[in-house]
Amino acid sequence: MSEYKTAIGIEVHCELKTNSKMFVDSINNYGGMANVNINEIDFALPGTLPSVNEYGIMLGLKAALALNCTINKKVIFDRKNYFYPDLPKGYQITQARNPIGVNGYIEIEIDGEKRKIGIHDIHIEEDTCKSTHAETKSYLDFNRNGVPLIEIVSEPDMKNEKEAMAYLEKLKEILLYTNVSDCKMEEGSMRCDVNVSVSKTEELGVRTETKNIGSISSVGRAIVAERNRQIQEIEQGNTIVEETRRFDEKQNRTILMRIKETGNDYRYFPEPDIPPYILEDKLINQVKESMEILPDRRREIYRNAGIQPINIEKIIANQEISNYLLDFSGNLVIASNLLLGEISAYLNKTGKKLAETTLSKEKFTHLVEKLDKKEINNQIFKEIVETIMETEEDLDKIVDAKKQDEIGEQELNKIIETIVLSNQESIEDYKQGKDRAVKYLMGQIMKETKGKANPVIANKLLMQKLNEQ
Amino acid sequence: MEKLTKEEVLHVAHLAKIKVEDCEIEKYQVELKQLLDDVDKIKEIEVENEELLVTPVEHETILRNDFNTRKVEFNELKKNVPVTNGNFVEVPVMVNE
Amino acid sequence: MNNYLDLSIKEIHELLVKKEITPLDLVEECYTRIEKNSDLNCFITLNKSEALEYAKKLSEEPVEEENLLWGIPIAIKDNISTKNIRTTCASKMLENYVPIFDATVIEKIKAKKMIIIGKTNMDEFAMGSTSRTSYFGAPKNPIDKTKITGGSSGGSAACVAGTLVPLALGTDTGGSIRQPASYTGIVGMKPTYGRISRYGLIAFASSLDQIGPMTRNVYENALLLNELVGKDPKDLTSRKCEIEDFTRLIGQDIKGMKIAIPNYFVSNIVSDEIIKKLNHVVEILKNNGAEIEYIDMKYLDQAVTLYQIIAMGEASSNLARFDGVKFGYRSQDSHSVEDMYANTRSTGFGNEVKRRIMVGSYLLSGENAKIYYDKALMIRNAMKEEFDKVFQNYDFIFGPTTTTVAYSLDENLDDPRKSFMDDVLVIPVNMAGLPGLNISMGENENHMPIGLHIIGNYLEEAKMYQIASFLEEKLK
Repeated sequence: MSEYKTAIGIEVHCELKTNSKMFVDSINNYGGMANVNINEIDFALPGTLPSVNEYGIMLGLKAALALNCTINKKVIFDRKNYFYPDLPKGYQITQARNPIGVNGYIEIEIDGEKRKIGIHDIHIEEDTCKSTHAETKSYLDFNRNGVPLIEIVSEPDMKNEKEAMAYLEKLKEILLYTNVSDCKMEEGSMRCDVNVSVSKTEELGVRTETKNIGSISSVGRAIVAERNRQIQEIEQGNTIVEETRRFDEKQNRTILMRIKETGNDYRYFPEPDIPPYILEDKLINQVKESMEILPDRRREIYRNAGIQPINIEKIIANQEISNYLLDFSGNLVIASNLLLGEISAYLNKTGKKLAETTLSKEKFTHLVEKLDKKEINNQIFKEIVETIMETEEDLDKIVDAKKQDEIGEQELNKIIETIVLSNQESIEDYKQGKDRAVKYLMGQIMKETKGKANPVIANKLLMQKLNEQ
Repeated sequence: MEKLTKEEVLHVAHLAKIKVEDCEIEKYQVELKQLLDDVDKIKEIEVENEELLVTPVEHETILRNDFNTRKVEFNELKKNVPVTNGNFVEVPVMVNE
Repeated sequence: MNNYLDLSIKEIHELLVKKEITPLDLVEECYTRIEKNSDLNCFITLNKSEALEYAKKLSEEPVEEENLLWGIPIAIKDNISTKNIRTTCASKMLENYVPIFDATVIEKIKAKKMIIIGKTNMDEFAMGSTSRTSYFGAPKNPIDKTKITGGSSGGSAACVAGTLVPLALGTDTGGSIRQPASYTGIVGMKPTYGRISRYGLIAFASSLDQIGPMTRNVYENALLLNELVGKDPKDLTSRKCEIEDFTRLIGQDIKGMKIAIPNYFVSNIVSDEIIKKLNHVVEILKNNGAEIEYIDMKYLDQAVTLYQIIAMGEASSNLARFDGVKFGYRSQDSHSVEDMYANTRSTGFGNEVKRRIMVGSYLLSGENAKIYYDKALMIRNAMKEEFDKVFQNYDFIFGPTTTTVAYSLDENLDDPRKSFMDDVLVIPVNMAGLPGLNISMGENENHMPIGLHIIGNYLEEAKMYQIASFLEEKLK
């Protein structure tokens, strides 16, 4: 089977993070009560006309720039005509002839090897209504109608599911970091259609399209299933036909939806209600210059600062932390360890975001300095993290208070002596090499001191005492 | 008189989502052919510049601010909807795409 | 009977200011005349009780002395969306459709306190040249009731020509204001594309459609246009222009103006009685210091072909929203969406509309979009450039508006091409987006009006009114 080459192309639809819709001046918000965020244009009432959301164009432009596309400065739209109840005008406004970006690429990395995946084009369009189906009736909610979308069409450059998944992860990352889309596949704000073909020669085979796959890992499984199906068909002497399929997660296979209609029946033509809009160079440069630092550039910065690869990926996966580190000028290794360690644990526990805590940038910088100078250690930090994150109290004061609060070494030594002497069994256990004896005794010490013992010191003193016995 | 074939008539009717009764087919075979013959004349017209004039508008398009929004209550919109069900517009069941 | 409606707007306004009459007198007279002439079938829907009520309310308010259109009755073509007034497009599809919003022009008309009398008859979805494709039956020409009014703005033309209402709005996609104005002997302006917002105009062919005023004389036409224009954020094709008074040049001399008459406009496609009238106009112009030259213009004879492709193509898409889902007619007992579409659209649309959207869909399908539609847009561009060239040397292009006078209501019913050929002389203006104006240059021996077509350069409506008014005076 290995003599077959697989070619994979992916079409991704992403909803843009705008306040209002692309060609209708109603609110971009769906998922709640049906038909509450609409106006007469959503309903395509006779005589209504489109307007164009400026921010939607800007986000499309930004995405195109982030994906290394050549920009078509003359923004024009086309009508894609077809009849379906979820399409109120009977046509979708899209960019068929002159997409905003063309000839871009995304760089992926598989097992340390970098590869560019071509982007054929990226274009701006609008979403359809949401429909739900009962046995004999369907029900339409127009809230989703007109939600701004970009469609990113890749070249059939990917050779296997690994590359496809890496491409999608990378694409998602870029769109998240540029605040173009929230890319929530489970909520449908990012949707994937995958084109797969196999061939024994250099020429591409006939491709099928598997629509609307629900997650990136499912994309991987769908590709494997579809490649295997196609190879099996060919081996059995059948030919592959151009068709639309869907992926059944449970059965782990693709299922035929419909054979593609021959030729182009969408009757595309230029949208006469929207005259051309020219993107000035000045504006394009503005968008370029104000663009967020992209994930790959951030990786480079972290790598140069000496952060471990595994931590770099953890930081990239957490946009808030990554942004927090952006304008930080101290020791990045300590800072990232702190953010990924105790601070993340605290945030997870409390369900808070960094911005919702009292950890100011200044406080954080100061904290890293203290750790760097070993004025405090991680152990102490662990104990004062809540105070730091929840109060406006000065960091130095918190640390001092913590130190004062600790029971002095002499006093602690007395307490430990008493505890050790009154637990002869544990001494025996310890001598027989049973670890739990130490744990038990430490527990007793903490209980006796009501947690005011410095555990590092307490442990040191305990071990001394035990070894004296 | 030249005519379209029956299949051609049904094809264009399908594109436009219009039902053509058997008794109407012959009429359309003739009428549509006349119109299609008319528009075919375009093929013979010569033109040097291949630029398209989509709309006679030459001014700069003014885009809408993302925060300019309007809303119309569903109660108002539903006045003209043939069939509603609660807050939804109802249609015969759609073949799932 | 007082016959105030036979007076000019200026005269009516003076009476209103002097409190000799009230808007209620005018509105009552309108309805009396409409009812007396109900056989003209000018209206699809009358706004009687609301109009009377509003007129009563206005009658108690102080007259706006600066606003010549205050309290003046107006008729609106039935493809312009009017809140709470049924808007049918003369189609069964919208027989019971009551809009929930006003077109931008309607907002402007209301702001000027004009009174909407009713919605006028027209060709279904403005597709036709005789108004005979109306689901509600054809309107009749008030000059001769056996004749067509022309179309598609036939009802608006007829109610103005019959002095039932002093002012009306029409719409013009390929001559639909100017051609019926010509057939009924009134003044009809299709302004520069983009002058007037199309928001609320039920689209036939978006890149060609334009709303315009239809009136009894040139001055009143300019007066009404003053109130309709302006950039509208709801219509991206509307244009931002300096505020101007379109009546400002009326009464000025025309000496030195240069007028081109394309040879095609006076070729053998035009009847002799019309050529004769045009020659008479040419004499008047020459005698008053205007220069006339006959010129050749490329592509004018291809305009109908372009129009068929562009208008039918755009229409097939614009009319896709009439599917029975959100508004208008829905065929009952449909068990699938496919059935609902096919039944709704085949029952809801009339023959002319169905024919055009079938052909339009075909013209855009697959490779045809390139072969037909793109090619048409290329020639459209070339045609616009041809006009631009002429306007570098001339102030106006003149010609007859129509090739014949209005014909009988029962003539040419079976030829699907006739409705396009009736507009052969006026279509090129829509292709280029230029302004075009019809005024009457007299009548034939059977008293049927003959129209003069004045084409101006972009945004030069005021200058067109200047020369039109001059001729109107001379032709009296």
